[in-house]
Amino acid sequence: MDKGIIKEIFLLILEIIKALCEILWKKIKNVTDLVWSRFFALSDVSSEEQEWGVTGEDTWPTVPEVQPAKREEPQPGSERKEIIYVPEIPELPDDYGDNRIVLMVRDTEWLFAYWEIQKGVMDSALNTLGDMAHGAKIAVRIYDVTDIIFDGSNAHKRYDIEVTGGARNWYIHVGEPDRSFCVDIGLLTSQGSFLTLARSNTVRTPQAGVSEVIDEKWMGIEEIYEKIYAPMGRGISESVFERAHKSWREIQKEGVSSPGSSGGSTASEG
Amino acid sequence: MGKGYLSLILHAHLPFVRHPEYAEFLEEDWLFEAITETYVPLIDVFDRLIDDGVDFRITMSLTPPLISMLTDTLLQSRYIRYVEKRIELAAKEIERTKHQPEFNRLAQMYHRHFTDARYVFAEKYQRNIIHAFKKFQDAGKLEIITCGATHGYLPLMNNNVNAMRAQIHVAASHYEKHFGRRPRGIWLPECAYEPGVDQILREAGIRFFITETHGILFASPRPKYGIYAPVYCPSGVAAFGRDAESSKQVWSAKEGYPGDYFYREFYRDVGFDLDYDYVRPYLHGDGKRTNIGIKYYRITGKTDYKEPYLPEKALDKAAEHAGNFMFNREKQVEYLASVMDRKPVVVAPYDAELFGHWWFEGPQWINFLFRKIAFDQKTISLITPLEYLEMYPVNQVSTPSLSSWGYKGYHEYWLNGSNDWIYRHLHKASERMVELAKAYPYTPKDSLHGRALNQAARELLLAQSSDWAFIMKTGTMVEYAVKRTKEHLFRFTKLYEDILSGNIDAAWLSNIEGKDNIFPDIDYHIYQ
Repeated sequence: MDKGIIKEIFLLILEIIKALCEILWKKIKNVTDLVWSRFFALSDVSSEEQEWGVTGEDTWPTVPEVQPAKREEPQPGSERKEIIYVPEIPELPDDYGDNRIVLMVRDTEWLFAYWEIQKGVMDSALNTLGDMAHGAKIAVRIYDVTDIIFDGSNAHKRYDIEVTGGARNWYIHVGEPDRSFCVDIGLLTSQGSFLTLARSNTVRTPQAGVSEVIDEKWMGIEEIYEKIYAPMGRGISESVFERAHKSWREIQKEGVSSPGSSGGSTASEG
Repeated sequence: MGKGYLSLILHAHLPFVRHPEYAEFLEEDWLFEAITETYVPLIDVFDRLIDDGVDFRITMSLTPPLISMLTDTLLQSRYIRYVEKRIELAAKEIERTKHQPEFNRLAQMYHRHFTDARYVFAEKYQRNIIHAFKKFQDAGKLEIITCGATHGYLPLMNNNVNAMRAQIHVAASHYEKHFGRRPRGIWLPECAYEPGVDQILREAGIRFFITETHGILFASPRPKYGIYAPVYCPSGVAAFGRDAESSKQVWSAKEGYPGDYFYREFYRDVGFDLDYDYVRPYLHGDGKRTNIGIKYYRITGKTDYKEPYLPEKALDKAAEHAGNFMFNREKQVEYLASVMDRKPVVVAPYDAELFGHWWFEGPQWINFLFRKIAFDQKTISLITPLEYLEMYPVNQVSTPSLSSWGYKGYHEYWLNGSNDWIYRHLHKASERMVELAKAYPYTPKDSLHGRALNQAARELLLAQSSDWAFIMKTGTMVEYAVKRTKEHLFRFTKLYEDILSGNIDAAWLSNIEGKDNIFPDIDYHIYQ
């Protein structure tokens, strides 16, 4: 027989074996993946129920005290029908074509800002900076605007945070309860000048302690506060309450109509 | 005469989960488990208290998504299928355990439990257990309060007053439709308050809400009575503060009653414990092991070693714990009454699903507590916040502090690295909804445009559910929460663009109207 033909046949057989091996490998991989995903899917299930109404720091039960003694892996039957939740959704847009920064309060000490700045705006800002554009960095400038009408230059204080890594949002630790803030997103040059690209809304951090403001009509009953507040174990803030409470005083002078059934009663008992 | 009051408040809520596009859907089980383990047992307790002539007062928030699901015919029939499967399995279990008396009597207990759930749900209340709650309300025992339309986290809507207003007004209208009168109180979603929210409540005619403890403690000016009397916000809406002490006794996983070793162990379910082929017909289509609701063990101790559940012993414990809770409230009220010049009110709010679902004996604890309060003491009385306001219509004026009942008391659980990405989209969608409402002031409701505008409002509301951010943070079922957020935002955005371009896809609109069918009577003008 022609050696060439034998060689051809031999090579052909080799190809077939190779193809079979590949199919086999895919099968093995599928099975492995399936087992793998089941394994992790199971660990999800074991704790899935925890999300029921678990909110408070003391909530019951955030952590299961005991794990089930036995959790074998299910062997899905041949009739198994995957129910995968596949809605018809593409990804959300990266941005909405805006140039803006939005500021939110997270708690007594932290704010959260997100922003989007269009390339055209960024480019023209860099143009404006001219030579100073070199080395300019994107930064968030934080202004303390407590109880003022902010005109861009009268903030109680301000400071900058460089934002890195192409971030489009930032958690800002202001560390000051009961103060008002707004922020700019802008370019900070190496010479220290700041070019604002967008300015945020203003937010106020909540008070972190018992109010220093005492309704004047309740004056002289300090001991009742002591007795009621002390057992609650909440510390009273040392900070001096600076806010002007004109509106409060007005309300108390005028009295507030009660929504109670009697109607029209005044706000204060005293 | 009593010296003070206890106001027990249960917050009943589940996110709107309804998937007609699938024959069955895992997350719909949240509702079915809650019906079986919490709502029906509570209804049983209330019915029996009334039958026995025991006077009681309780306040419950039934959120609009929960009411919508409980009154949805598709979910109602799916629930019957769910509970019937469990009756069938319990019957098999009675047979399987016939030589193991300690398990056999539990199998019989579950069989009764499921059969009762089916009876109460399907026959006694004709598939609509909202009728049961309405009945208790009309009898003067239960004050049903509302919540945000989709449990949207109001302070994270960043002062979009129209968006916040829609959450409140849509909820109030929904309440009125189901209960025949306006809601008088509200459970703010996640107990999250920021100054100004009360003004929206007032517009909706709501007279009181509940805040977390420090919402009142840190209010300004300083409330004279702390959390033991309401304050009026400048708007005139009353705010009641949560009592941390009574909450802790029930909530705390460490110190709370539900951790007692005689109570039923939640984490040992036949869905995981029994032979796979045996339980397979009671699992979902994907064959993943899940909780089925038959659980044979008691907590026993801190280890994996578990002993069989002893129902009589657990019931004794529930009675003992109810007595302990009452005793502590008596002491608390006696003390407070001695330092206050009016009767204090102790406000104790809990997630309703704690009772029965997590804490199997919880509904019986309420049962014992109410009976003991009625017959065994004279210091405290049960009261609803509204009754307290009627008794004390004059209150101090003070603005509660921004707060929530979440981790650390503020917004962090709903605003952190796992879920902060949603807000830029939610805020944008809210702004666009307002823009649409202003651009189309006179569009008739039944026109294609009007339907698209109303559906856009529904999609925005559904995207705003705080549940999605919450689930993203808990780290379980995250994928579902992410997809729901994206899905509603996508549908909203497509509607927004289609409406503006005048090119509405009628077939697609009908399709999503069928899926996201919450608030059939919504009127998008609320966003104007």
